[in-house]
Amino acid sequence: MTSVSTRDLVSQPYKYGFVTDIETEKIAKGLSEDVVRLISSKKEEPQFLLDFRLRAYKHWLTLEEPDWAALGYSAIDYQDIIYYAAPRQQEKKASLDEVDPKLLETFDKLGIPLSEQKRLSNVAVDAVFDSVSIATTYREKLAEHGVIFCSISEAVKEYPELVERYIGTVVPSNDNYFAALNSAVFSDGSFVFIPKGVECPMELSTYFRINSGDTGQFERTLIVAEEGASVSYLEGCTAPMFDTNQLHAAVVELVALDDASIKYSTVQNWYAGDENGVGGIYNFVTKRGQCRGARSRISWTQVETGSAITWKYPSCVLQGADSVGEFYSVALTNNCQQADTGTKMIHLGARTRSTIVSKGISAGRSSNSYRGLVQIAPGAKGARNYSQCDSMLIGDEAAANTYPYIRSQQPQAAIEHEASTCRISEDQLFYLQSRGIGFEEAVSMMVSGFCRDVFNQLPMEFAAEADKLLALKLEGSVG
Amino acid sequence: MIRPDAELLLDINDLHASVEAQPILNGVNLQVRAGEIHAVMGRNGSGKSTLSKVLAGHPAYRVTGGSVRYRGSDLLELEPEERSRLGVFLGFQYPVEIPGVSNLEFLRVSSNARRQQQGLEELDTFDFDDHVRERLSVVQMDPAFLERSVNEGFSGGEKKRNEILQMALLNPVVSILDETDSGLDIDALRIVAGGVNQLATPENATLLITHYQRLLDEITPDYVHVMAAGRILRTGGRELALELEKTGYDWVDEEVASTGQGVA
Amino acid sequence: MVSTATDWLTRLPAPAGALEPIQRRGREALAQLGLPTRRQEDWRLTDLTRLQGLLTLPLAALDHASAEAASAQNVPGRPENGWRVVLDGHSDPLAGVTLPEGVSELSGSELKQALGHTLARCGSAHHWPVEFNHSLASQVLALRIRGSVPPLEVLVGAAEASLSPTRILLVVEEKAELEILEVFLADSGAAHSHLFEMHLGQEARVRHGVVAQGSGDSALMAHLAVEQEPRSSYELITVSRGWALGRLEPQVVQVDGQASTVLKGLVLTADEQQFATHTTMRFEGEEGELDQLQKTVAAGRSHSIFNGAVNVPRAAQRTNAAQLSRNLLLSDRARIDTKPELEIVADDVRCAHGATVTQLQEEEMFYLRSRGISSARAAALLLRGYCQEVVDGLPPLAQRWPVIDHLLEGLER
Repeated sequence: MTSVSTRDLVSQPYKYGFVTDIETEKIAKGLSEDVVRLISSKKEEPQFLLDFRLRAYKHWLTLEEPDWAALGYSAIDYQDIIYYAAPRQQEKKASLDEVDPKLLETFDKLGIPLSEQKRLSNVAVDAVFDSVSIATTYREKLAEHGVIFCSISEAVKEYPELVERYIGTVVPSNDNYFAALNSAVFSDGSFVFIPKGVECPMELSTYFRINSGDTGQFERTLIVAEEGASVSYLEGCTAPMFDTNQLHAAVVELVALDDASIKYSTVQNWYAGDENGVGGIYNFVTKRGQCRGARSRISWTQVETGSAITWKYPSCVLQGADSVGEFYSVALTNNCQQADTGTKMIHLGARTRSTIVSKGISAGRSSNSYRGLVQIAPGAKGARNYSQCDSMLIGDEAAANTYPYIRSQQPQAAIEHEASTCRISEDQLFYLQSRGIGFEEAVSMMVSGFCRDVFNQLPMEFAAEADKLLALKLEGSVG
Repeated sequence: MIRPDAELLLDINDLHASVEAQPILNGVNLQVRAGEIHAVMGRNGSGKSTLSKVLAGHPAYRVTGGSVRYRGSDLLELEPEERSRLGVFLGFQYPVEIPGVSNLEFLRVSSNARRQQQGLEELDTFDFDDHVRERLSVVQMDPAFLERSVNEGFSGGEKKRNEILQMALLNPVVSILDETDSGLDIDALRIVAGGVNQLATPENATLLITHYQRLLDEITPDYVHVMAAGRILRTGGRELALELEKTGYDWVDEEVASTGQGVA
Repeated sequence: MVSTATDWLTRLPAPAGALEPIQRRGREALAQLGLPTRRQEDWRLTDLTRLQGLLTLPLAALDHASAEAASAQNVPGRPENGWRVVLDGHSDPLAGVTLPEGVSELSGSELKQALGHTLARCGSAHHWPVEFNHSLASQVLALRIRGSVPPLEVLVGAAEASLSPTRILLVVEEKAELEILEVFLADSGAAHSHLFEMHLGQEARVRHGVVAQGSGDSALMAHLAVEQEPRSSYELITVSRGWALGRLEPQVVQVDGQASTVLKGLVLTADEQQFATHTTMRFEGEEGELDQLQKTVAAGRSHSIFNGAVNVPRAAQRTNAAQLSRNLLLSDRARIDTKPELEIVADDVRCAHGATVTQLQEEEMFYLRSRGISSARAAALLLRGYCQEVVDGLPPLAQRWPVIDHLLEGLER
């Protein structure tokens, strides 16, 4: 294969780049204590939440934006962002029939039909458009099992005691710069509560859509699984193509009590900017799960293909004895995308176990870093970690970095880390081609083979989707 | 060689053991007297390797019931190193590679620990060197292997020969050879078996753990035991091994199923 | 912090001697840098109080004959087939030394041109330990090596509670071959600041051993910058133990690829010791090779840190690099931090790295115990075996030093 074919090929156009023309209520640009109060009052929040926001805001003012990641971007002007935008409609509708058809049509186009007739039969969806949740399907059916699945704004009104008990307990409002910002201005997101002993009867899913051009999106998700409960949750995200950068700073908190299990999957496909790096989402996300109970399990699976910049480290705090944390990640960067992503596994409890499998694919002029921490605290006797971080480079202008931090203070623990860097070898390509497989198909076969361990962790409905997404993203970048 | 009046070396009574809370041995009974060669046969997972590990005192195996007496005293109370010094030898199925630890040094320390127990004089580096070179002939081993790290980079056959060399040096009373024949070609098998035969005396005994009968063509057992589901299902003479060779292990499964002794 | 450094700088004797301009520039740089802080990634884990302690020490004043004698009981006689140079931090290292054939001293304009060249190439400027040495060192052992020369032993002694700044520059010519063993010894309370620079010409071969043996409250701060031309081969084997505060910074650059680099390090820490190894390997051309193994053993309440950067820019196609970090944690109050750092921008490369943190392997322990060897003895054997892999790589000169026996002292605690 010649180097010409490498460069000639261009990425598939981003098919979610359209803008929905809908009347939107926005507040003025900029961030101040008044803005924080305004957001809180628009959402008619109880005092505890306003206090939470204000504490976070005051703390945020004292912090500096972190600069340790292997990322380069021009400074973000936090006064040039709109912190609240909502499609103009009345109260959230009891029935989908009353939702603005334009919104339903938007989600239809994104492949997430919400209406009774078309919606997915085994997945409940919470659809978030800019700063608000517009619809949540199957709420009643889930309620029959005692499962609460709704937007966090509704949860604040309907289950304030639950929200107050858990919010900010995994990611405190002063955790880091972006978490503090989110805590001050978060607009919407999902809330999931699985009561004791209940196995959630269907997949839960939230679909995030940024529509407005100059807004930031700050969603907040909280999932609580009580003793013996289990749930599988998936989030998806897209945004229109704008030539300015937009900030997305989300916080996700997971709490698993004794014997509970939470599986959290992400297929992230925010707009990545064009091939010259103009536009795209700045994705600064804090995701953390706490295995609070004995034998609990939290599993993160992510397929990160979008965003101009990705900064996220879905983590597990393994507090309960015998608890298990898992992180499976595919991060693909192309063109000028930059990703600095990985996980933290903090082993506190005895015999806690964690597994990390990270697959990074860098193409174009992109930069893809794995950054992870495995920490074994003195109390984590018998803890074990296994990490595997593989990078695949496509083209000679892409960068793959690996920064695995390991810290151990417990002799009766075993940590094992392996990493490799490879490219698609000509021999492999030739072998496949000589068996009649087309060039691009051969590449995508090998990339999906490279990612197999991670895709196997995705809920079935989405694994095939992720495979296709990757093939699309890479189309034309290999030669 | 069967002599009913010979010393009872190993007396296993209703032995139960488990690994990670999974029961593997479910009541093993076995008596081994001086001069005897026993073969323990069975499918993978029948518990035969576990039996060898338990007798050698592997920390991952927990004895949950029964007793093992070695020359009249409680074997299970002893640390692995004490068992070795008293003459219980385990030939590993998968001898461990220990990079950086010289094979010669390892053999010397180990052999001296046994000698000290026996009230013999410990050998210094030079004397031991002569001693070990003389014993190399038992397994026709190249002296170059002494200079390497313990088992590191040894082929399957070389590792097994190194095991028998250790047996030759330690002069054990009861040798348990766990799947010593696995992974060996016929020449290596003959050498290893030849070593075992040379070392057998009326004072010691050998327990051969094996899956196949072919080792028994080279070393003639006095007793053959068939293990299944963590127990000894049947005991016979050499002819039992030949029968197994012909009929396979299917009848064993049937018997286990019919008596409900299986532990899944 | 800046003021602490400034105070210290004002108390130093005025710059003087052949290295006067370098001392002056080093002090200016240090005044700018101040002391390292925990906000700097490279110093995040360092016990900075101990680092500040270095600034309270007087400069070394013992001449080198006394330095050799002071640690005489640990020092074997001069090598029969090689030659020895003693560095004491202040006197002329070549006084009374007859250089073997093929070795010449670099001086005058030649020295001026060569000194600092490799440091610049390795990006070592403004590293705190480098500028620290610059501001202090008044002597440099600067040699050119041609052809194949007898093995060189460099004894770096620091006696009493003093700070000993030493510096070496070696220019190894095309096709030349050198074996060098640097031995660092220190009394309790003594500290070394060592700066080593070496240029390997095309097809040059160097085997470089470092045995660093501290005692009590001693400190070691060493920066090794090595530049390799194509088809050269460089092996660095470092063995360190016994430093209350230690920092070793090997930085190797293959300027035009096609060279081979082997880095093997062994660090043992016990008591309250802290030792950090920061290696940087940079490939600037095609077909470079790296084989790196870093081993640590941490006992007592000690803290062992490893940071291993491997840099493969776009020009370095067909690089083949492997790095392995193996760590043994012997006590539940000891701590290990290890961080490989791979930065790769070339697609046709093979880079693998691995890290493990464990205690002694249960299976290995059982195997030895099943052969009658006691737990304590088995652990000692395994530890020795674990260390041997690195120690065996030291140049033959090291066999005169009881390296392995000293290594394991004090670990049982």
